[in-house]
Amino acid sequence: MNLLTLGMFAAILCATLGITYWAARRTRTASAFYTAEGGLTAAQNGFALAGDWCSAAAFLGFTGLTALYGLDGAFYALGPLVAFCTVLFLVAEPLRNTGKYTLGDVISYRMRRKPALVAAVAGTIVVNFAYLTPQMAGAGTLVRLLTGIPYDWSVALVGASMILYVAFGGMLATTWVQIVKAVLMLAAAALILVLALALAGFHPFVPLAGVEERYGASFLLPGNYLKHPLDQLSLGLGYAFGLAGLPHVMTRFYTVPDAKTARASVIWVMFLAGSFFAATTFFGIAAAHFVGRDALLAADRGGNLALPLLAQYVGGGAGTVGGELMLGFVSAVAVATILAVVSGLTLATSGTIAHDCYVNLLKDGRVDERTQVRIARASSVVIGVLAVLLGIFVQGVNVAVLVILAICIAASANFPVLILSLTWRRFNTGGVVGGMASGLVASVALAFAGPAVLGKDAIWPLVNPTILSMPLGFLGAFLGTLIMGRNAGHESRFDEVLLRAQTGVSQRDS
Amino acid sequence: MKANACSASLESSAGRRDALRELVAAKARLLVPLTAIYLVAYLGLTTLAGYAKPLLAAKVAGPLNFGLLLIMLNYVLACGLAVLYVKVANAVFDPEVAKLRDAVAKGRREP
Repeated sequence: MNLLTLGMFAAILCATLGITYWAARRTRTASAFYTAEGGLTAAQNGFALAGDWCSAAAFLGFTGLTALYGLDGAFYALGPLVAFCTVLFLVAEPLRNTGKYTLGDVISYRMRRKPALVAAVAGTIVVNFAYLTPQMAGAGTLVRLLTGIPYDWSVALVGASMILYVAFGGMLATTWVQIVKAVLMLAAAALILVLALALAGFHPFVPLAGVEERYGASFLLPGNYLKHPLDQLSLGLGYAFGLAGLPHVMTRFYTVPDAKTARASVIWVMFLAGSFFAATTFFGIAAAHFVGRDALLAADRGGNLALPLLAQYVGGGAGTVGGELMLGFVSAVAVATILAVVSGLTLATSGTIAHDCYVNLLKDGRVDERTQVRIARASSVVIGVLAVLLGIFVQGVNVAVLVILAICIAASANFPVLILSLTWRRFNTGGVVGGMASGLVASVALAFAGPAVLGKDAIWPLVNPTILSMPLGFLGAFLGTLIMGRNAGHESRFDEVLLRAQTGVSQRDS
Repeated sequence: MKANACSASLESSAGRRDALRELVAAKARLLVPLTAIYLVAYLGLTTLAGYAKPLLAAKVAGPLNFGLLLIMLNYVLACGLAVLYVKVANAVFDPEVAKLRDAVAKGRREP
């Protein structure tokens, strides 16, 4: 198994490094580095979004959760899809029309004050590292599990690849790595789906009835994984508004030429990722039915090997050529999944460090093109190295709380600030700082006081705190705005912001 | 669902401002209900998951229960609403946006 997986893994690495070589020769300007010069088509961006958004937690985790905990796993898979409605209805087009490379651009276009930009930078960096660290830790665990390479080396290997993609190939390489990953992921899913359905006599009710008979009717009910009645709602809120506040997802909307293409790319990703997420629910039920929960638990206590083991089973079983091929393929795709996600995160973080901090905060935008690209490349190397060190440092630590935090802060700090910037005339720098600060502090405090860290002694009962931290983020934004007071000049400029957000043009040349 | 942005004259900057506000209002008339529908459907389902387990346990067809059916319907609803919005935006809003953009460009050349 190891050799086969290693072979396919090596093939994916070679292909993606080839892409990087090609992309590096086309990445000479800051606009090319951060946004591929805004020249992607809707289909390309849609596939890349699917590659960006489906982390290993989605690829392996949703199937595993469903296999072990039934309907709760299906709920986990639904949220990330419906969340694209928020993105499409509220943020995709204004982001495309207003921003250049980062969330900081949108906020500082509206506010024209440095404290507002500092707040946006803080929100971006905290969310991205909270997201990146568990991805790196997951990479170490998974690559070790799937290929036998030791944990530290696995993290270093993934980190080195991601640094090469981003530092040399910028957005173009990152995009194509994500597209390749999305195609592989969907191909693997389609293959498993057909084979599993064939085993079930093309009747999806067969495994459904099978798991109900074996594990009882409660398996197909919520509450097996998330115990508190409000857990599902709070998680749902986190998804519904957090996706629209994730900087590495926002960045993808700067890669298309106009609002119409931004809209169309959301439709692409909804059908691509949506069909994949829906399929994981069937995969989980099929894995519980065919492979059995005891075998899945024995292979990995978190259920993360449910999908690879289902693939092995439907391919013909352990020891058969078909079974081992399928297992190797799905394992290699899992690694590709991680590479695509960490690259997107590294690129978005490098955008906020190099573009927001260095160029705009430190140098007031007065930096020539070549220096901008140099700084962007250098910062992506630094971020990559930092991510590798963090990944190695947290080995064995329970990083579940970071996963919760990333989406929760995005919903509680970034989303309120972004949406109020685009819709509320009176919203000002005080509101940006107040919203970011209260959303961040509330998310961190509640997550660390919750069951993910304190277990049974939790002070706060819910796993995901968004149900309280998001209202607190909005409250901080309102109070900050009121405290700073009104400014007629600032408020009259809102018409200009609206015009730009809706049409992409400005009254004055800029 | 009709945008009336063209009713204001785009010659003057005040007219363009009114046209923009009408466009934003027309978009809101569509987007507020769409957002409300999907939030009620999705967050409503997560609330049912916490407080109405017997309802979700009810069998619909064979081993398929109401909970799993509602999850599947939520996928369909989210994609359906998204496609609906994009169709309306392409057909109704984009032409208005294009008119406004041209008028702004013209206004910039002849202040």
